[in-house]
Amino acid sequence: MKNDHTGKPLAIGIVSLLIFLGAWELFCRFGFIEPLFLPAPTKILSRAIKMVDNGQLIAHTLASTRRVMVGFLVSSLIAIPFGIFLGSYGFFRAVFDPFISLLRPLPSMSWIPLSLLWLGITETQKYAIVFMGSFAPSLLYIIEATKGIDPLLIRAAKNLGASRLDVMREVILPGSLPQIIAGLKVMLGIAWTCIISAELVAAREGLGFMIMNGKEYFQTDTVLLGMVMISITVLIIDLVFRKFEKRVLPWRQ
Amino acid sequence: MKKRGMYRKAPVLAVFLLLVPGLLCAGVYAEPERPTVVYGGSSWLGHYPAWVGIEKGLFRQYGLKVLFKSSYASSGRMGSLVAGDLDVASTGCISAIALMASGSKGFMAVGTQDSYATVEGLIATEDIGDMEALRGKRLAAPFASSAHVLVIDLLEQAGLDAQEDLSLINLKVNEMPAAMASGEIDACAAWTPHFNKLLNMPGNHLLANDTRFSLYKKYGIGPGPDLLVVRRAFAQKHPDRCKAFLRGYFEAVNMLIDQPEECAKALMKLTNLGMEDQMRVLKDITWIPAEDQRALMIEPGRFVTGMQHLARFLVRHGQIDKAPRVKEWIGEDMIP
Repeated sequence: MKNDHTGKPLAIGIVSLLIFLGAWELFCRFGFIEPLFLPAPTKILSRAIKMVDNGQLIAHTLASTRRVMVGFLVSSLIAIPFGIFLGSYGFFRAVFDPFISLLRPLPSMSWIPLSLLWLGITETQKYAIVFMGSFAPSLLYIIEATKGIDPLLIRAAKNLGASRLDVMREVILPGSLPQIIAGLKVMLGIAWTCIISAELVAAREGLGFMIMNGKEYFQTDTVLLGMVMISITVLIIDLVFRKFEKRVLPWRQ
Repeated sequence: MKKRGMYRKAPVLAVFLLLVPGLLCAGVYAEPERPTVVYGGSSWLGHYPAWVGIEKGLFRQYGLKVLFKSSYASSGRMGSLVAGDLDVASTGCISAIALMASGSKGFMAVGTQDSYATVEGLIATEDIGDMEALRGKRLAAPFASSAHVLVIDLLEQAGLDAQEDLSLINLKVNEMPAAMASGEIDACAAWTPHFNKLLNMPGNHLLANDTRFSLYKKYGIGPGPDLLVVRRAFAQKHPDRCKAFLRGYFEAVNMLIDQPEECAKALMKLTNLGMEDQMRVLKDITWIPAEDQRALMIEPGRFVTGMQHLARFLVRHGQIDKAPRVKEWIGEDMIP
């Protein structure tokens, strides 16, 4: 019975996807949609085959993945300890709150002019765009996750003689970790949304570049292929994340 | 009580009495609604005729109201044109060819208004004396633009590989002066007004301009000449409106030839340039009047032949998939 339930949604999902793709293909074949505005799935597929063949698709995907992962990892490495710290100490949270509130709504694109002035047209500038686009939201997630720890648990640990470091290591960190990891998964998706901004200036490879260049040449199939590749890459990274989550949080299974 | 009620109503009555004749007069004397043509342009020199036409009332004399809708990039304008947001636009040839290659029949070319081979080119630092000296250097060009095509061609002529022999960086023209000043790039390909700005920077010099482009030497066509395009549906539905627009447009071209100073005054609003700079830009442009259009676009059609070669060039360098038959997009009936 259990297997039936887990298998069904997947099968339903695949069937609905196939029906959608079939309908899309038919609409394009019968001329209801102009290929310039929306090319048929088979056209996107043939573009993918061509670009895999000449090695461009893999190169673009790897370039973007590297940029997103570096930006996201640096942002997480700073946001996790800093967020736990701010989540644990109300005074420091109050000190930094105005700055976080100011940074949080800024779209990654708004950092392009400053990042160009500070870092020039380098790879670091691209990492910085991803970093700035994902840092403030990650920090907020982690602060909220830390604040969500039951104070009773903290008091109990303290009563049992735990030091501040013990409380942090034994209560706060394991307690907030599931939420932190869930937040980071969401943030990884957000980091990928920064790739278009990151590759808007001085890039000659990457999925963002591929999309923008395809737009310039009215190659809508290339544009859509770039979008599909971003989704597929995020899905693959998400699967890896789940494996990591299983290892780090075995009690959640 | 009644009297007080009347006093209260008096101001309302007065306003009503004043407004009614005013509104009636406005109705009587209002200018009749003129048919509208939406033009897509930017501050680039290729749009000067449309702007001058609007400012000098050249379209109005043909009963047209022309709206100038700003759109920075050629690709954006072409997209808006086929989507139906614009009726007429001027565009760089590369965008037009790319759109033709995509199979879109939503537009047609009706003229080419200018030639500007000396206001676009490759600028380098002093130590780079020729193309060969670019080996191992950092060269910037805005990808998918005429300057990019020029770079590809010049490198090919010099026997250099853009992937292996140097570092080719994709950079917008407005970001080039800062990148050159900071030494992040050694050379760049740009067009006016940034082209002039880069040339005026100390230590920079001109390595090559559009006259060195291989197709310019053979057909007199630069890497991305301007093309006047109209939305096919618009031209079919309103042929008279389209022809009237073109009449006004090429009168503006004549005005740019005959009265550049008068036009410069009007153009300063569009370009934000000073009078001196505006006149300098105007001097670098060769305007193509209406009487030359048919020879360039139809018979013998030197410009269209050049465009066809440009399309093949783009295919050869992997920029587009296939070369369209450019002639199929020429709106012969509309060309003055």
